[in-house]
Parts: sequence; structure tokens; C-alpha cells
Amino acid sequence: MEVGKKQYKAWLYLAPTLILLIIFTIYPLINTFIIAFKENYNYLNIGYGKGPDSTEYEFSSWGLANFKAIFTKGDFLQYLKTTMIIVFVSVPISVVLSLIIAIALNSIKALQKFYQTVFFMPYVTNTIAIGMVFSVMFATHGGLINNLIKVFGGQPQNWLGGDLMDSAGNSLYPSYWKSMLVLLTYITWNALPFKILILLSGLQSIDKQYYQAAQIDGANKMRIALRITVPLLSPQIAYLTITSFIGAFKEYSSVVAIFGNQAGPKGYRRQMATVVWYVYDRMKTSDMTKGMGYAAAAAVVLFVIIMFFTAINSWVSNKRVHY
Amino acid sequence: MDIRLVNLTKVFADKDSEVRAVDNLDTVIPSGKLIGLLGPSGCGKSTTLYMIAGLLNPTEGQIFFGNADVTQLPPEKRGIGLVFQNYALYPHMTVKQNILFPLQNLKVPKAEALQRAQKVADLVAIGSLMNRKPKQLSGGQQQRVAIARALVKNPDVLLLDEPLSNLDARLRLQTREEIKRIQRETGITTIFVTHDQEEAMSISDEIIVMKDGVAQQKGAPQEVYNNPVNLFVAKFLGTPPINVFKGYIKDGGVYIGEDRILETELPEQEVTIGIRPEGFEVNEDGTGDFTLKIKLVEYIGRDKSVVAENEYCESPTFRFIVDADIKNIVDGRVIKAKIKPHKCFIFDKLTEKRLQ
Amino acid sequence: MVLLRYFICVLIIVLVPLAVFRKKVLSNREIVTKRYGTNLDTTNTMIGDSVSEVIRREKTIKIIKYIVTYTFLTAVAIFIIAPFYWMIITSLKSTEEVNLPDPTYFPRKIIWSNYRVAMTMSGTYFGRYMINTVIVGVFSTIGTLITTVLSAFAFARLNFKGRDILFTVFLATMMIPGEMMVITNYITVSRLGWINTYQAMIVPFWVSVFYIYLLRQNFKQIPNELYYAAKVDGTGDFQYLLKIMVPIAMPTLITITILKLMGAWNSYVWPNLVTEGKMRLITNGLRTAFTDDQGRSPYNLQMAATTVVTAPLLFIFIFLRKYIMRGVSRSGIKG
Repeated sequence: MEVGKKQYKAWLYLAPTLILLIIFTIYPLINTFIIAFKENYNYLNIGYGKGPDSTEYEFSSWGLANFKAIFTKGDFLQYLKTTMIIVFVSVPISVVLSLIIAIALNSIKALQKFYQTVFFMPYVTNTIAIGMVFSVMFATHGGLINNLIKVFGGQPQNWLGGDLMDSAGNSLYPSYWKSMLVLLTYITWNALPFKILILLSGLQSIDKQYYQAAQIDGANKMRIALRITVPLLSPQIAYLTITSFIGAFKEYSSVVAIFGNQAGPKGYRRQMATVVWYVYDRMKTSDMTKGMGYAAAAAVVLFVIIMFFTAINSWVSNKRVHY
Repeated sequence: MDIRLVNLTKVFADKDSEVRAVDNLDTVIPSGKLIGLLGPSGCGKSTTLYMIAGLLNPTEGQIFFGNADVTQLPPEKRGIGLVFQNYALYPHMTVKQNILFPLQNLKVPKAEALQRAQKVADLVAIGSLMNRKPKQLSGGQQQRVAIARALVKNPDVLLLDEPLSNLDARLRLQTREEIKRIQRETGITTIFVTHDQEEAMSISDEIIVMKDGVAQQKGAPQEVYNNPVNLFVAKFLGTPPINVFKGYIKDGGVYIGEDRILETELPEQEVTIGIRPEGFEVNEDGTGDFTLKIKLVEYIGRDKSVVAENEYCESPTFRFIVDADIKNIVDGRVIKAKIKPHKCFIFDKLTEKRLQ
Repeated sequence: MVLLRYFICVLIIVLVPLAVFRKKVLSNREIVTKRYGTNLDTTNTMIGDSVSEVIRREKTIKIIKYIVTYTFLTAVAIFIIAPFYWMIITSLKSTEEVNLPDPTYFPRKIIWSNYRVAMTMSGTYFGRYMINTVIVGVFSTIGTLITTVLSAFAFARLNFKGRDILFTVFLATMMIPGEMMVITNYITVSRLGWINTYQAMIVPFWVSVFYIYLLRQNFKQIPNELYYAAKVDGTGDFQYLLKIMVPIAMPTLITITILKLMGAWNSYVWPNLVTEGKMRLITNGLRTAFTDDQGRSPYNLQMAATTVVTAPLLFIFIFLRKYIMRGVSRSGIKG
């Protein structure tokens, strides 16, 4: 094999990909990191270097001012809290629920394909679009959910706060927790299809003989599920948990979908905002020095948090996953 | 506890075709014995085993454990042990956990369970491997773990599906002795399935020969060997295999070609004749009733294995075995041999049932 | 507190069937073990009539299990389908009906014109948005296919120094959250003067490491012998790629195409950042078009627009279900 001659050829094939990857992935990664440490950063002045006046210079100094700012000023911590709630509530629920559903699906023969198809529908939909449907479903007046509640004799709730207004046009009683419930429901609704698909295909790849052996060993269906099926499914469960964690930390579209671009009804803007919402919000602000720099810092913080939890997840997986 | 199979039938049907995997099997498996279910692939032996285990539901018929009709009873309630052909050890559990699993399902208290597990592990000689995972074990070791797991709950019935087929030749001999030993020590009614007649013959108390879902013959190995009930059974047992010839009966004698080899009282008819390899008596002068031409003599130590030709044989050549000391057996010679009557079986040409 | 009550109700609905079902099985086993003990000499031996009791119980359990399972799955299905149903019927309601304090579960009068109104409302450029989305979709897919095919070929078939290290680096980039790149990408795009252009939405996404990974797997399954045979027949590498590897890997390429097009149709965040007004895609248009801060939003029109946005993908899904689901599930095999 003339390896030598082929060398440059391979690079030729990779050239377009590499160029694009460097420009739009590798360089940005490094650059964002750097920006986070440039105090009073103004991206419009790129190339004008360091200097005292941010109307003319790119940034003022190297330092942690951006980080300090996001943690002390504004509501970053609130957004972090919202994000954490999303992560630690929706991920376990959606993983467990999808596991139960997948096991149930696997145990039936008739209509299995039908249910499988139905359950996958949310995946092909637009997050923004269906989010708007949810906001209609949970509308205080004329919404489906409130109607069902009334039918069952309960009290209809002001879920999203959008359509009850006071004289100033501000929304009445939007409760953070009620809105959170709607948000979590929507996120779970979106999260089920992918997980069900992965878990179901994992289930179908388990050799039937293990089930037969377990039956001979006197195990009933519940024991089989807990001691045979779930352990054998642990690689998929671990994978789903890790990727769901990461995805949940980055949650943004669902919030905008239900609550609008301002992440909350009038008078209660940014009520449901997440960390990523903050990043995008900062990017579009007109106050330059409080813009990109802060966004970059927030992105870096997010990145670190994600890496931290991914590391924990991986460590836990190593201990408990059987391949 | 004995097992009774009554009219046991299993039919696999899809839209275009139907397969009768097991056809009206009617037999009793005596208590405490080691029984071999023997037959070629597709004869229904594994299907029968799985129906006894409860993993397959019979289309018709019943299964009795002792006096209890267990036909509709689900497998986890039958109290049997099953060793799968591929062992089916739980890959995510250690050997110890694999063996403990059945006891945990029976809610046996932990201390007692550990004790029993260790006992049975020692019985099959894997007591020192308790903390390993299945993928760290060799094939033979995995199988013994599977046996231990099946035995630990003291089942009334032990089933083995082709236990030796995944092992190499050396291990096979060793393991079949183990199986025999374990069965003797525990006294459990044991059924194993195999397509290897030597295996079945060597360790079974009784064998059941099956073909196309139908039981052909049942009995002690030697009995089935010496008195096959039809041509199939005769051909299936014995190594080297029985030699089959076309012949006829005339004037109270059995003829192959011109040679009158045996006396008989059967009426005149065309018949199929099977002669065991050890059924040929050759003397040094080459005299006898049956003509054959020697093609090749293989000296295999204690015996001579001779490949010969006879125009009425169903295959181009046939094989017989004689004592190595007999001289004058050389390639190319045409000699005559005497046929030992008890090694020669006459079968009806059409039904293949044994006539004599 | 009110919310707590609802939580508890949900829990009860889920747990009670489980508990009931569990109880039945346990009592069955209890009876058996009580009668026969669990010690050495009698395991599950059963004699006479107790066997038939067990059998009968087992049969009932089986039936109950089926009922519970199908009920559960149907409940989940209703949960999944509900938004779609609600979306469609709301889109067909008249304005008065939509604003009723107690909603109807099926429109009293079906107003098809909602769709026409929604699409042509002034201030929304739905037609334009759709065209934008299609253009972005088509061109980003073409670009992605090109980069993916070339790279996967290089990684799968060609031998070059640093190949494996480079591939690992590629895979590592999949782990980085996109938000880290967005900031700089926005800056890059604006400095290139690409704000409010098609390129901004197309070019940055021409490379997808995941698709390269997927295609490389597929390419690797093509036996080496084919390559050698082609070489002997005088085929160049590029020819081999085009004439043999691509056709063989067509199912994967179709999956990539479908997923990429779907992604373009559904994309929101990036286009929202880099475009304004007429250049926007349908998702952006949807979000901003009907939301007004004063008073109520016209739900029926909003839902009509939403249906228009959602329906195409659902159709594609129904027909190309296999490709989509297979492609998605393969990303889960090796994390």
C-alpha cells in the first residue's frame, strides 16, 4: 500500500469538513472561553484591542468581572434554580416513565407497532409549535385542562398567567410552581419518544433465553423486570440519563414556546427563564458591555456545570452498568 | 416422581404451512432415572423438553408430574430445573448470584440459601468460582454453573437441552460422566436431549428415540440397540452404523442376492436387511454364506475395520469389524462370511418395521 | 394545597393498579409456599386440586395483566395525542367558540377559512417564511451530505496518519453544548456581514459529526474485498465512493436527509438570532406572529398556523417512519 501518496488525498477529502469544523466549532469553543474573561467586552470593536473606553476598545482588562456580574447582579441565580428544577425533576420522571412504557410495549404483541408510532410522534414536531398548543390547552379561560378539572369537581387554576389581567394590563396570579408544572409536563411529553425508542430496541435485543431461564428459576414478571430486564438494559438507561441531563441543562425552546420570548407573561417577565435563555438574552442586548461578555461567562458556567454532572453520571454508570 | 406424557402433540402453524413437531407422544418417564431423548434435528425432542418445562404450550395432550396434571401450569410454578443449550447464565450476575436467584424467588432465607448454593456448587465442582462473572468462565465451567443453578432448588425433574454439544471432544467425555454421577447422587428424574447416539447410549438408563415428532422406541440402550423396532432405530444407533442390504425371503430362507444367509419362518417377500458391523464372522479360509469383496482394510489396533462391497448393499460400500488377529483379510479378496443371526435384522420393505 | 392534591391523585391513579396487581401475585405465591414450605424436600411440587386452583388464578392474573397493560398504554397514548387533537379542533373553531369559558371538544361549526386568514394575515409572511425554510433546508442538507460523505469515506476507507486521533477529536466535539459555540458564531456571522442572509442559517451547520459517525459505521460494513476488486478493475477512489459506496449506503443517506430536513423545518434558536423580519423561518414567524401583549391571542388562528407548521412533518413521519426511527435509534446503541 502506498500510504505515503494517499496521505494528502485523505486530507483533501476531509478539507471542507475540517475548515467548517474549525471555523464554527473549535475556534468558537476556545473563543467563547476567552471572551468570558474579557471584562467590559464589546464585540463590535473587535480588533481594537484592550483599552479603557469600551466605545472604542474591545475590552478593558482581563479578569473575572463578567462572572462576578452575573452572580451578583440580575437574576442569574434564579435562572439557575429554574434550570436545576427542570433537570432534577424532568429527567428522572421521563427516564422512569419511558422505562415502564417500554416494558409495557414489549410485553404486548397486538397493536405494538401502532402504539410505538403514536408514542414517537412528539419527536417529529416543532418544539415551538406544540409548546404554543400547550399554552392554549392550559389557558385559564377555555382551556382543556381547566375544563377537565372542573368536570372532576376541582378548582380551575391560573396556570400560565397570561390571560387574566389587572387594569394596568399586568397578569394576575401567575404562580411559579403552576407554570413550572406545565413546563415540566411539556418537557416530559417531548422527552418520552426518544427514550421509549432506545429502550424498546434495547429490550428487543435481550436474548429471550434469559427470560425463559428466569421463568424456570421461579421468578414472576415483577422480579424478572427488576432483576433481569433492568440490569440488562442498564447501558441504555445510563446513556439516556447522561444525555437527558445535558439536554435538560440546555432547555430553552420549551420555555419560549409556552411563555413567549420574554419567558413569562406581562408583568412577570423572565419568570420561567433558564440559564440558556439568559445567554441569548444577553446576546441581543443593546448595552454592549453587559452583553456578549456576560453571555460568554454564563455559557462557561453552564459548560462547567454540565461537565461536572456528566462526570458524576459517568462515574455512577461505571459502577452500576453491566455490559 | 415420574412424568407421564399423554397424547402430547405440538403443532406449529402459520398461514401457509403446518408442522407437527411432536405427534401424539405417549410415554412414562420413570422416577429417579436418567432418560435420553434421542433423534436427529427436527425430530421434536427439544420441543418435547420445552413442553415438559412449560415454556411451550402443547396443542393437544397432557403432562402429568406424578398425579398432577401440570399441562396448563406456568413454568415458574412447575419446580423443574432446566439447563439450556447455551447455558443462559445471567451475564450481569456473578456465579453465586446466578445460583442464588432461584432460591431468592422461592423466598428461602439468606443463610440457608447461601449454604445450599455452596453445597450444590461443590457438587458440580465450581465451588471456587463463586465470585466470577459468566464471561470470565470457560464453556465447561459455565455449563456446570447452569447445572448448579438448575439443581439448587431441589427440583423433582432436571431437564438438559443438548448438554454436550457445545463442548469440545475431551470435555464431552468428562462431562457426560459428571452428569451421570450427579444424577446418581441426587436421584432426580432427569431427561436430556441429544442427537448424539453414543452420548445417549453411554449414560442413559433408558432412551427414547424420536423421528419427525413420533416416538419410535423406548427402552434401555442395550435393548434398543439389540432389538430395534424399525429400520430407523437400527440405523440411528451404533457406530459404525448398521449396514443395509436389499434382500428377499424364499423357501424359509433369507437371501441377499444368491446368498442364503439365514433361516426364517417368514413368508416370501422382498425385505430390507440390516446387519451390524460386528455381525460378520470371518474365518481364515474365507468361507461362509455371504459374498463380499474386500476393498480396504483399516487396522485400528484391537480390531480390523474392513470396507467391503456387495452389489445388494444400499450404499456403494459397507463396513464390518473383525478381530485383528484374523489373517488373510487383504484388499481385493473376495471372501464369504457367516452372519450372526442376532446381529441381523429383517425389515418389511415398505413399512420398515422389524420382522425378525 | 391545591397542587398537592393533584399530585396525589395522579400518584394514586398510577400506583393503585400496580398495587392491586402485585397483591394478586403475592397472595398466589404465599398460598403455594405456605402449603408446601420452602425447605429442602418440597419445592413447588403440587398435587391434585391445588394445581387447578393455581392454574385458574394464573389465568385470571394473565387477563388482569393484559387489561392493565393496555389501559396504561392507551392512557399514555391519549396523553401524547391530546395536544395534536386539541390543536386541530381549536384551529377549526370560530372566534366566538374559541373564546368560550368552557371549551367544546369538537367544533360546533368547522371554519376552514381560519387557515386562509392565518396564512395571509398582514404582518405575517407565512408564504415567505415557508420558502425561506425550504431553501435553508435544501441547501443545508446538500452541504451536509457532501461533507458527511467525503469525511466518512476518509475515516472509513482511507489510511492516514492521525486518523484515529482525529476521529476521537471529532467525537469529542459532540459532547460540547452548542451554547458555547453560539456566541462566537454569532460574532463571526455578523462580522462576515451575513446577518439576515440565507448563508448564516445554512453554512454553520454543514458539518454534523453525528452523521459522519453514522455513515462511517455504514461504510465500514462494506467489505474490503469490494474495494480491492474495484481497484484491480482500475477504479479510482472517488469513483469507488460515488459508484459503489454511496449506493450501498443509500438507506443511511436517506435517513440523514430526512433528519436534516426535519431539523431545518424545526429550527428556531439560531435563525431567531441571526435573522429579522422577512428572512425568518416559519418557527420564528409562528412564535411572534400571533402573540400580542394586549388582550387575548386569537387562539384559533394561532392553532391553524401551528397545524400548518406541524402537519408536513407528521405526514413525512407516517410514510417514512422506518427511516426516521431507525436512524434515531442507532444513535443510542453506542453512546
